Amino acid sequence: MSIYTLIPLLPLTASFILILFGEGLQGKGHRLVIPAVALSFLMSIVAFLDVSANGPIRVHLYEFLDVGRLSVDLGFYIDQLTVLILLLVTGVSTVVQVYASRYMIGDLRHSRFFALTALFTAAMTLLVMSSNLLLTFIFWELMGLCSYLLISHYAERPSAARAATKVFLVNSVADVGLAIGVVLTFLTFDTLDIPQILAIAESGADIPTLSITLLTLCLFCGAVGKSAQMPAHIWLPFAMEAPTPVSALIHAATMVNAGPFLLVRLSPVLVLSPTAMMVIATVGGVTALFAALVSSTQTDVKRTLAYSTISQLGFMTMLCGVGAFVAAIFHLIAHGFFKAFLFLSTGNVLAATHRHVEEDAKEKGPSRAMGGLFIGALILSVIPALVIFSGPYGYLWLSQSFSAANIALWIVGLATIFFTAIYLFTSMTTIFHRSPPGAKDGSPTVIATPFSAKHVTGVVVIATVMVAVLIVVWRWFAGFLSPAVGGLPIQANMELSVWILVPLAAAVGGWVVAYLGFLRPKTLETPRWRKKLYVFFLNKGYFDEIYDVFLVRPTIKFADWMWRRIDQGIIDRFVVTLGSASVGIARWLGRFVDTAGISRTVESIGKDIDASGQAARRYEPHTLQHNLLVVVFWLIAALGFFYWIVG
Amino acid sequence: MSSLFAEHILTWMILVPFIGMVALLFVHERKWVLVTTLATTLVNAALALQLWVSFDNVEKGLQFVERVEWMPTFGIQYAVGVDGISVLLVLLTTFLPPLCVLGSWDSITTRLKAFMMLILLVEGAMLVVFTALDAFLFFMMWEVTMIPMYFMIVLWGGPNRVAAGLKYVLYSLTGSLLLLIGILALSLQAGTFDILSLAGYDYTPDSEFWIFLALFLGFAIKLPMLPFHTWLPDAHSEAPTAGSVLLAGVLLKMGGYGFIRFCLPIFPEMSHAFAPAVLWMSVAAVLYGGYMALAQVDLKRLVAYSSVSHMGFVTLGIFSFNNEGVEGAILQMVTHGLTTGAMFLIVGQLYDRTKSRSIADYGGLQQRMPRFVAILSLFAVASFGLPTTSNFIGEFLILVGVSYENFVFVVLAMGGIVLGAAYMLWMLQRVAFGEARTEAAKKMTDLNTREMWTIMPLAIAVVAIGVYPGPLLEAMDASVTFVVERLASIL
Repeated sequence: MSIYTLIPLLPLTASFILILFGEGLQGKGHRLVIPAVALSFLMSIVAFLDVSANGPIRVHLYEFLDVGRLSVDLGFYIDQLTVLILLLVTGVSTVVQVYASRYMIGDLRHSRFFALTALFTAAMTLLVMSSNLLLTFIFWELMGLCSYLLISHYAERPSAARAATKVFLVNSVADVGLAIGVVLTFLTFDTLDIPQILAIAESGADIPTLSITLLTLCLFCGAVGKSAQMPAHIWLPFAMEAPTPVSALIHAATMVNAGPFLLVRLSPVLVLSPTAMMVIATVGGVTALFAALVSSTQTDVKRTLAYSTISQLGFMTMLCGVGAFVAAIFHLIAHGFFKAFLFLSTGNVLAATHRHVEEDAKEKGPSRAMGGLFIGALILSVIPALVIFSGPYGYLWLSQSFSAANIALWIVGLATIFFTAIYLFTSMTTIFHRSPPGAKDGSPTVIATPFSAKHVTGVVVIATVMVAVLIVVWRWFAGFLSPAVGGLPIQANMELSVWILVPLAAAVGGWVVAYLGFLRPKTLETPRWRKKLYVFFLNKGYFDEIYDVFLVRPTIKFADWMWRRIDQGIIDRFVVTLGSASVGIARWLGRFVDTAGISRTVESIGKDIDASGQAARRYEPHTLQHNLLVVVFWLIAALGFFYWIVG
Repeated sequence: MSSLFAEHILTWMILVPFIGMVALLFVHERKWVLVTTLATTLVNAALALQLWVSFDNVEKGLQFVERVEWMPTFGIQYAVGVDGISVLLVLLTTFLPPLCVLGSWDSITTRLKAFMMLILLVEGAMLVVFTALDAFLFFMMWEVTMIPMYFMIVLWGGPNRVAAGLKYVLYSLTGSLLLLIGILALSLQAGTFDILSLAGYDYTPDSEFWIFLALFLGFAIKLPMLPFHTWLPDAHSEAPTAGSVLLAGVLLKMGGYGFIRFCLPIFPEMSHAFAPAVLWMSVAAVLYGGYMALAQVDLKRLVAYSSVSHMGFVTLGIFSFNNEGVEGAILQMVTHGLTTGAMFLIVGQLYDRTKSRSIADYGGLQQRMPRFVAILSLFAVASFGLPTTSNFIGEFLILVGVSYENFVFVVLAMGGIVLGAAYMLWMLQRVAFGEARTEAAKKMTDLNTREMWTIMPLAIAVVAIGVYPGPLLEAMDASVTFVVERLASIL
C-alpha cells in the first residue's frame, strides 16, 4: 500500500459517499468532492517530484484474477508519463469542480452530479496509473459509464437521453476493438502486465509483426472511439448535452485524453509495426483536417468547440502515428489546460447571457482582459503543433520511407493549422468582440474590426514571449518524458530550425484569411462549389445521418423482423405445433383408453393450429390431465427409442 | 458446533426448506406466513455461508459427503456432497429465495401460503440437484423443480399464463425424458447410479453417441441453447416476479451444471467432438438472443432474451475446456443469477405499481423515482457486462478461454456485448429518461425501504464480485482444474 493509492482513492471515496448518502447531502456535494480532488492534485505533485527524482514506481494492491494462464494484479505503474497526465487530470478536475460548485447551485441532481464527476476523475486517474492492460480496459469502460450518466444529467430532455445512449453505443462499438486487442495482447505476450509488455517489446523479442499489427490496430480501435477519431467522432458533439463543467472535464481532463495516452503508453509496441503506425497517422490526419473544416463552418459555439477538440485529438493521434510521442503528450497537456479554460469561460458567457448560439449574441462579452487571455490560450493551442514540424522531429518526417505519405502528412498538418487558426479566430471574435450579424437591419454589413493596431502589437508581443517560454518548456519536457516512451530517441540537438516558419506562416495565413473574411460584406457572391462544400461541412459531412439511415434503423428493423419471422414464425410455430399435436394425440389416446375426466370436446383436433401461443389456450380446462397424458405419450415414444438404441 | 450439525450440514440445508413448508401449515396470518418463509430462507442462506466459510479451497474433490443407502436393489443412494463448482451454485440457490420472498411481499394477494411453499419447494429441490452425487436422486429432484414452477406460472402468472405454462411443461418434459433415457442408459451399462463411478466406465462406442446426445439435449433445453429457447421468454414473462427470479436465477443453471457434471467427465471424447458445433451454436445464441432482445417491447421479454444471450456465453466457456473458460462459465452462471434476478425484481417493482410490462408505458421515471433509476441503471449496465460489475469478469474469462480455441468466437461474442449495451441502454432511455408517456407513469412513487432491502444485497454482490472476484474463483479453482486436467489427459 503506497500513499499514491490515495490519488484515485480520495475522489472514489467521495463519490461512494455521495452515491450512498447523496439524498441527505443534497446541495453539499461539492464540499466533499473539491477537497478530495484538490488533495489528490497535491498527491500528484508529490508523485511527480518522487518520479522525477527516483524514476518509475510500482504499487501492488491485490490479486485481481488468477485463473489458468491468466493472472492479473491490481496495481499501479507510475512513471513519467503517468505523473504528467495525473497533474493535468487532477489539476483540471479541481478547477472544474470549483467552477461547478457555483454553476450547479440549485440543481435538482446536485449530489448525483458531484458523485459522478468525482467518479469520472477517479476512473481517469486509475486508467493512467493502472499497471495492467485489463485494468486499463476496466477503467476505460468505467469512464464511458460516467460520461453516459453525466450526459443524461438533464434526463427529462429527450435530446439528452438520446445523446447519452448514442455516445455510449459509439464508444462500446469501438471498445469491442479494445477488448479484442486486450485478448490478442494476452495471446501474444502471455501477460497483461504493462511494464512486462513494454520490456518484451523493447527487448526485441521475436514476435511476428502480423500479430503486433493486429493487436495494435485493435487497441487503436478503442482509442478511435474514446478520442473521437473518424469515423467514431460523432459522439463528442452529442456529449455537449451534459452540463458545461462536464464538457470541460470530458474535453480537457478525462475521457478523450485516454486515446492518445493509451497509444503513448504502448508506444514501444506500436513502433514495432510500421503498418499500424501508418494507419494511425492517416486516421489522425484525416480527422484533424476534417474536424478543423467542420469546426470553421459551425455556428453553435459549443459545437465549434467540440469539433475543435476532435481536430486537436486528431493531431495528437497523427503525432503518435509518426512516432512523435513526446510531442503528442505535450500537445495533449497544452490542449487540456487551454480547452478547460475555454469551456469554463464559454460556460460563463453562455450562462451569463443565456444564449447557446452565436446568433443570439447581443452584447459584448466579458472584459478585454478575458479576451487577452484568450489570445494567449489560442497561441498556446496552435504552437505545440508547430514545434513538431521542426527541430527535434524534423528527421522523423524525413526518415519515413514513403515520401508520398510524408508529403501528405505535411500538407494535412499545415492545412489543419491553417483552419484551426481560422475557426479559433472566428469563434473568439464572435463570442467576445463582435456585434451580432443581422442584428441591426439596414446597417452596413461590414462590421467594426475587432483588432486595432494596439491589439496587433499586443498579440505579437505575447506570441513572442509564448514561443520563447515554449522552447524552454519543451526542452525540459522532452528530456523528462523521453524515458517513458518508445520509438526513436529524440535527438540531443533539440534546437528549433527554420522549418518552424512554415507552420507559423500557415497559422498567420489562417488568421489573415479569417480576418479578411470578416471584413468582407456578406452580400458578395460565393461560387457554387464553395457553397456546396460549405454545406457539406456545415452538416458535419452527414455522418450522423449516414449512421442513422444505414446502420441504426436497419438493425432495429431487422431485429424486429427476425423476432416475428424466425423466432415466433418458425421455431415457436414448430414447437407449438408439436406440442398441440402431442396434446391432440394424447387426448385421442385418452379417449381410447377411456381415461376418466377427459373432455369430449375435441373439436380443435385437426383444425389449423394457430402459430401464436394463445392457440394452446383452448386446452385450458384440462391442462393438468393433458400434461400427464403428454408425459405418457412421450414416455412410450422415448422407451421405444431407447429400446431401439440399446436393444 | 456439534458434529451432528457440522458433518451433516448439506442434509440440514436440504431439510430446512421442507421443515419450513411443514411449519407453514400451522401458520395462518398473512404476515406470519411471510415472516416464516423469510426466516426459513434466511436460515438456509446463513447455512450456505457457513458451508462456504468451512469449505476447503485447496481440496479438488468432494467435501461434506454423506451417503445413505436408499434403494439398495437398484444401487440407488441418498448421496450428497459439494465441490468447488457446486458450492457456488448452492450459495446462489440460497441467496435468491429470501429476496424472492421480499419481492412478493405485497404483490402476491391470493393463495399466499401455497406460493411460499412453492418457493421453499423449489429451493429444497434445487439444493439437492446441485449437491446430488447419485444420478437417480439428481434426476428425481430435477423433475421436482419443474412442478412448482409450472404452478407458479399457471396460478399466479400474467394474462397469457396457461399457454406459457403449457409450453414450459412441454419443453421441460421433453428435456427430462431425454435426460431420463440418458441416465438410465448410463446406469444400465455401468451398473451404478453413482455419478463419480459413472465417469470411470467405458461405454460401448455405439451407444456412446446416443447417450451423450440425450444428456446433452436434456441439459441444452434447460439452459436453454439456441433452437430450444422459445419456452423461456413466455415462461419468464408470464411468471410472477418470484417465479421469474427463481427460473432465471437458479433453474437455468441446472443445464450448465449438468454439462460440467455429466457431459464433460463422462464423455470427454464425445464432448470434444461436439465442441465445434456447440461453440458455434453458443455464439449464435449470444448474437441471436441479443438481437431478439433489441426487438422486444415488453420489459420481461427483453430480460428473458438477454438470458438466452448470456447462457450462450456459459456454453461458450464450458466447451472451450480450459480453466479460464470453465471458471468464467461458472462465474457467469452465478452472476447471471444475480443480475437477471435483480432485473426481474426491478421489473416486478414497476409492474406492482402500474400492472404493465410494456416499455412504452413508462418514461421519465428519473424525475419521480431517482432511487429506482439508479438501481435500474446499475443492473442494466451490469447485465451487459460493464467492467467493475460481476458479469464482466465471467465474460472476459470466457473470452480468454475461447480465444485459445478459435479467435473468431471472441470477435463474434463481443458483438453480443455491444448488442447487450444497445438493448439495455435503449430500454433505459425509454423507461427512465425523457418524459412520462402515461398518466400512471407520472404518479409513480419511489422505492420504499422494503424494496430497497430486496435489491440492495444484489447490488452489493454485483459490485463486490466485479472488483474482487478472487474468493469465488479460488473456491472453484481446484475443482475446475481437476475436471479440466482429467479431460486434457484423456484427449
